[in-house]
Formats: sequence, structure tokens, C-alpha cells
Amino acid sequence: MDFIEVKNVSKVFRINRRKSGVTGMLANLFVPKYEKKEAVKNLNFSIGQGEMVGFIGPNGAGKSTTIKMLSGILFPESGEITVGGFIPYKQRKTYVGSIGVVFGQKSQLQWDLPVIDSFELLKAIYRVPEGVYKKNLDRYTGMLDMGGFLNQPVRQLSLGQRMRADIVAALLHSPKIVFFDEPTIGVDVVGKETIRNFIRDLNRQDHVTMIFTTHDMQDIEKTCDRLIIIDKGSKVYDGTLPGIRERYGTTRQLDVEFVEHKEVAPIPKVEIIELDNNKKRFVFESHEVHINELMDHLLSHYNIRDINISEPEIESIIRKIYSGEYL
Amino acid sequence: MRDIMHLVGVYTKTTARSWFQYRVDALLRSLAVFLRESTGVIVIYFTLLKFDNLNGWNIHELLFLYSLLFLTYGIMIIFFTGLRDFGRMVRSGNFDRFILRPRGLLFQLIFANADWFAAVGHGGLGLVLFVISAGKVGVIWNFKTVVYYLFAIMGGVLIQGAVFLFLATLNIYLFETSSLKELFYYNMRKFAGYPISIFHRAVQIIIIYIMPFAFVNYFPAQYLLRKEDMEGYPQIFLYLTPVVGVGMYLLAYLFWKFSIKYYKSSGN
Amino acid sequence: MIKLAPYLAYAKKCFLGRSAYRFDHLMNILSTCLQIFIFWGIYHALYGENTEVDGITLPMVATNFVLSMGLGAVFSTNDYFFPDKIHDGSIATELLRPISVPGRMIAENAGNALFNLIFRFTPALVLSILIIGISAPAGVGMFILFLISVLLGYGVLWAISFSVQMTAFWFVNVWSITTIKNVFINVLSGSMIPLWFMPGWMKGVLYLTPFSSIYFTPVQIYLGQLTYQEIALKCAVQGMWIILIYLAGDFLWKKGQKKLVVQGG
Repeated sequence: MDFIEVKNVSKVFRINRRKSGVTGMLANLFVPKYEKKEAVKNLNFSIGQGEMVGFIGPNGAGKSTTIKMLSGILFPESGEITVGGFIPYKQRKTYVGSIGVVFGQKSQLQWDLPVIDSFELLKAIYRVPEGVYKKNLDRYTGMLDMGGFLNQPVRQLSLGQRMRADIVAALLHSPKIVFFDEPTIGVDVVGKETIRNFIRDLNRQDHVTMIFTTHDMQDIEKTCDRLIIIDKGSKVYDGTLPGIRERYGTTRQLDVEFVEHKEVAPIPKVEIIELDNNKKRFVFESHEVHINELMDHLLSHYNIRDINISEPEIESIIRKIYSGEYL
Repeated sequence: MRDIMHLVGVYTKTTARSWFQYRVDALLRSLAVFLRESTGVIVIYFTLLKFDNLNGWNIHELLFLYSLLFLTYGIMIIFFTGLRDFGRMVRSGNFDRFILRPRGLLFQLIFANADWFAAVGHGGLGLVLFVISAGKVGVIWNFKTVVYYLFAIMGGVLIQGAVFLFLATLNIYLFETSSLKELFYYNMRKFAGYPISIFHRAVQIIIIYIMPFAFVNYFPAQYLLRKEDMEGYPQIFLYLTPVVGVGMYLLAYLFWKFSIKYYKSSGN
Repeated sequence: MIKLAPYLAYAKKCFLGRSAYRFDHLMNILSTCLQIFIFWGIYHALYGENTEVDGITLPMVATNFVLSMGLGAVFSTNDYFFPDKIHDGSIATELLRPISVPGRMIAENAGNALFNLIFRFTPALVLSILIIGISAPAGVGMFILFLISVLLGYGVLWAISFSVQMTAFWFVNVWSITTIKNVFINVLSGSMIPLWFMPGWMKGVLYLTPFSSIYFTPVQIYLGQLTYQEIALKCAVQGMWIILIYLAGDFLWKKGQKKLVVQGG
């Protein structure tokens, strides 16, 4: 059995449909009307110990709901979840002692106090032994270059500094698994890079299992080996990052610059788009048209100055998956 | 146990340090609570300067009645200030953070935001009023009355705690409950500061059977003072405070437990 | 020339924003009524068989409570508008806008007050009249003067709130000071103890403070207890308090901006 097992998990929310007007308000209070919304539908996946998995999907896809179920905040409606031998929503107090959660949008630090005070409080809450605390604190603050602001009140920190402090806060008790929920949101480029490097290093060195949700594909490209995409509550992709290009990124485009302006005769299964300055773009599917044959055809019929092949960006593939083009 | 005491200590230190970031405010905090809660007392004082009794109750008897309300509230609030802001916590999602920590939920709520200053202000007012009035209301303090008094205080603390816990728990179901709390808790408490016999029958029914503040102070005070207006109520009410307290608290606690389950199955 | 449009927009936003919380609102109306009933109940018992005490009848007392507590509901200002902006640091962006912060506070509070007047005071007033009854105004002329005096009373209350909020520049957290301020207003303005029944020395002291200007002056005019000469004098006193207290607040506002330590950024 893998470290994290999610089997046939579904979650249905009942959403209170509000009626307007004072009478509606009162009716709502005493006889509420509910509407069902399936946030997660029959979800299955498993994650091994020490894996680093990107968990992405458009807004409302069920990411947060899944993370909440994995961390024990919510019960699943049906199906089973086990994490490291625990059923998250059953043995709460023991279970949550072994996980760390970073919410990029919600700090767990004490707003008015120096960062270090929040850490001391967490040490007491999680019963972290002095030695372990000292070791973790020194190591993580060193890796994240936090020495300069440990004694500064949280309210005076920049967003990037605060996020780094929040990450350390989630790690002080040496969790076996860490959930990152948008840990780079609002952080500047340099800050993002620091956070990504830290997360990657920690995963490689300590084999901490990590699940990472984000809207920034660069976060995933720079940290995760594996990617799970969900949409409308269901899993639509589970595999490696290069794998996604193999599976969906089959569109190729060939930009050709001709020596002189010339009409090109239509080619079967290839879309031709007119660009400026004697340039044309040829768009086709790699399994339908052989690139060699197409190039041969072009080179033998026309005078060509320059040729350039490109694969689609991961980002645009993901966008297409979200918009349902591949379904 | 030692571990729990240690954590309570760290929580308290952290909260106190947060407050002392704003020194003037922290120093004035207990005074402000004390003054705010004294408003009712000051009103009674000035009013009774003009009129010498309220339905047969003189100024000392009224203060004694008031002191029971505030002593019990002061003791209750030591434990339950965290629940005061529970609504905001649920709405902002900060309650999820508590679920993610390896400690009891009610324990964290109680100690993470304990407002000791408010407790000092409330309890202090109750104590001051008790000291001023206890010797002047004609109660003979013997073993029997002292035991009765202690049980009454305990019952009153439980009743107030139950109402507080119940209203806080409602936040799991309703988006905004502060006005509900204002209406049913704080306003009812204002009624309870006076002998309830002066109010309309409907108010009396609410304050005896629905938000039973009458058992926090009116009936215990009646047991000790035996004013004439007790004739309107069954004698048994004089002894029910501890029973009402335990019963209500159990109900509120079960409601809380049930609601946490509901929260975990519904999200927010 | 000051452009009014943005301020009107703020006032409108505040007015409309309030109408979103209907349930809350209903509860607030009931709360206001309950408070009035509590005090009416107390005075009903205090009066007992007496028809009047010191020339004051029970309906006059009821009128005092209904008007001052009802107006209290109208006047309720957000005492933390400015302190919140200091605490979370958003005052910095606020200062960059081409809009005066005190002006915006006036606009938002006015929008709020108008909402409260229509949807909170009016229903509470109707309910109170149906259940306990109040005295009629002393005449059309007096009623108009009463309205003017209400506006001035609101000005005094607003100016006090404004000045206390400005201390946030120094204290940041002003919960305690605000609470103490409200205790003074509640006890000394006559909304909980009709000022007629205060001991003589206390009345003397009170007339030297701004508190009796807030609700008690309008109530006295409404009941026809003052001559035209007295009304002119009392309204002038109201005006004087508005100017004095506002100037104090404005002084703090100007000094505060100079020493502004913005938090959070």
C-alpha cells in the first residue's frame, strides 16, 4: 500500500440557496433549501513516500476540497483515504501531528509579534523537543535566509518574507507530509525562486512527501516530478511533466520564412496561417503529418530562407485541458 | 498535565505580549471593561438617588442582585473569551487551522485567545459589588447560606457558559450571528440586572424559560433576600439553579460536538 | 472648490451596503426596541402610583428614552473605521487618494445614518409608540427646531468619535479608549438616566460637558421645555462643541500624519 491512498472518494456539498426579501430570509433560516454540488467525483490516486506531486486544476475544480479531506478538515462523503496508515478524519490529534500545511492565503503567524514568538508557540503546541526544534529552526531559517527578520513583527514583513516564515512554521515539528496550498501567491520573482529551491531541496534531502497546489506552472516545472490535474472534481491527468507533452502536446508548428512572396498550395491536414514578411505558419498534429515529409515538400517546392519548429508550452496545454478541448 | 500547563503558559504569554505591543490600550483594557460593565450600576445608583426603591428593592439589594450576574460572567469569561470571536474565526477559515493542530478544539479556542483583561474587569466588578452589598442586605452568612451561594455561583457560571457556547456554535450554521447574540444575550442580560418582576409577563417568561438568566441571579438572590415579589413564582425555582446549569451546559456541549461533526462534513 | 461627487458616492455605497444584511437588520431593530422597553419597564415600576415626579410625567420619560435611544441607533458610527486602517497599514494607500480622509468618514457615516434613520429608527419608533406610547411634539415650530437640534447633536457625537479615532496614530489599538468614551456618552447623555433625575450638582457639571448636547437638548426642545431664547442658546452651545471638538480632532489628524508609522508594509 502506498503512503497516500485515495480510493473512490467523492464529496458533495449542500449549498444553501438563498431567497431574497425578508420573508425569504426567514424562510431560509427555518426551512433552508439546499442545492447539491459535487465538488469531488470518484477520485482515485496514490502517492509514494517521498514523492513530490503537483496538484493542479482550475478554480473550483476540487483542489482545496481534496486537500482539506487529506488533511482531516473535511470528511469524504464516500470512499476511503489513508495517509501513512492513518485515516485523517478519524484520529485527528495523532494524525495532524505528523503533517504540515502551508496556506499561502492564510498566515498562521501572530500578526503583532516577532516571527520567533510564533515559532515558540508552535513548539509548545506540537510538543517539539528542544533539540529537534533548535536543529530545525537553525537549518530552515538558514536555508531560507531568514536571520535578518526573525525578531521583526510579522506585520512589518514583506509578503515574501512572511511566506518564508509561514513555511518554516509548518515544518518545525518535522512532519512526514507537507501540503502547500499556493505558497508563492503574490510573491515576487526572486522570492518565488527561493521558495521553490527550498521546497525542492527539502524533498530531495529529507524525503518528505509533498503535495503542492498552485496556479503558477513554473512552480510545478521547477519542483515537481509528478503532476495530477483535476477538473470538475475528477482526475484528468496523472503522470510526469514530460508525459503531458507526449499525450496532449501533439500539435506542432512550423514557421517558415520564404525568400520571396509566394502562394503556397494547400497541403492535406495542415493549416496554413499567413504571417507578415513572407512568413507562413504551418500547424499540424505530429501523429497525422510526418515532419520530414512536410519539410521535404516545402524545401523542394519553394525557396526558403529560415525554418523554425516549436512545441506548445506546458502552460498552453494545461489551459487547453482546463477549457475542455481534449475531453 | 504538565505539558498542558506549559502550553497554557505559552499561550497566555503570547496573548499578553500581543496586547502589550499597544501599551496604552492594554493598560486601559481592564479599566474599560470595568467601566463599560459598570454603566448599568451607575444608572441604578443615580436612579435610586432619586427614587428610593424599585418594586421594594433598595439600592444595596439591587447591587447584590447585579453582583451575582457579573461574578458568574467574570468566571465564565475566563474560559470562554475565545468563543466570543468564534464567528470571525469560522468565516475567515482560521478555525481550520485549529483542526490542523494536535490539540483539543475547545481547549485551543479557550486558551489561544483568552482575554484575561476582560475577565479581570468583569469579575472585578462582581467582586466590588458583592463586597459593597453583601454586608448590607441583611443576609446571615452561615454554613447553609454560604454553601447555597457557592452552588448558585457554579450554576450561574454554567448557565452563562451554556448560552455563550450555544451562540458561538450557531456560527457554524449561520453566516452572521453578532446581532442575534446582541439581541438574545446582551439585551436579556440587561433585563436580568433588575428584579424581573417589574417587567411585562412576556419578558419574564423569556428570562425564566428561554434565556434563563433569572436562575443566574434573580432566584438565588431571592433565596437569600426573600423579597415580597417572590410570591409570583413557584418556591421550587429558588433551588433549581445548579440543575438548570448542569442541564443546559450538557445540552450546549452536545450541540457543539454535533456541530463540529457537521462542520467537517459540510465545510463552510 | 471641493468636489462633492466622490463623497456622495461613498455615502451611497455605505447606504446600499447596509441593505444587504436584512436579517441582521431586523435583529438590530428588535434590539433597539428591547432597550427602550427595559428602561420603560424600570420607570414604570419606579413611578408606581405617581403621575409625576418633579413635574416630569411617565410619558415624558418614555419620550426621552424612545427619542434618545432611537437616535442613538441612528447615530451609531463605526468607531474603528480609521483605527483599522492604521492597524492593517491601508492608511498609506488611503492618503494617496485625492480625497480627504475625514471627508470620507463624514460621507460614509452620513450614508449610514440615513439608512438607520429610515430603516431602523422609524420601525423602532412605530413599535415603541404602539406599545408604550410617547408624548406628541410641543408644536410644529418646536418640531422643526427639534430636527435642527438633532442634526447638531449628531454633529457633536460625530466630532467626539472622530477625535477619539485620531488617537489611533499614537495608540494604534484604541478599543479601550473607545469603550471608555462610549461609557461616558451612555451615562452622561441622558439616554439611560433622564438628566432631569440627576442630582443637582451633577446637572451643573453636565451642562459644562458636550454630552448633554447630544440627545438631551433635542428631547427638551421636542417636549417644549425650553423657551425660544433658551433654544437659541442651547443650539449655539451645540455648535460650539462641534467646532471645538472637531478642531481638536483636526489638530490630531495633522500632527498624526507627520508622525505616521505605517504598519505592515
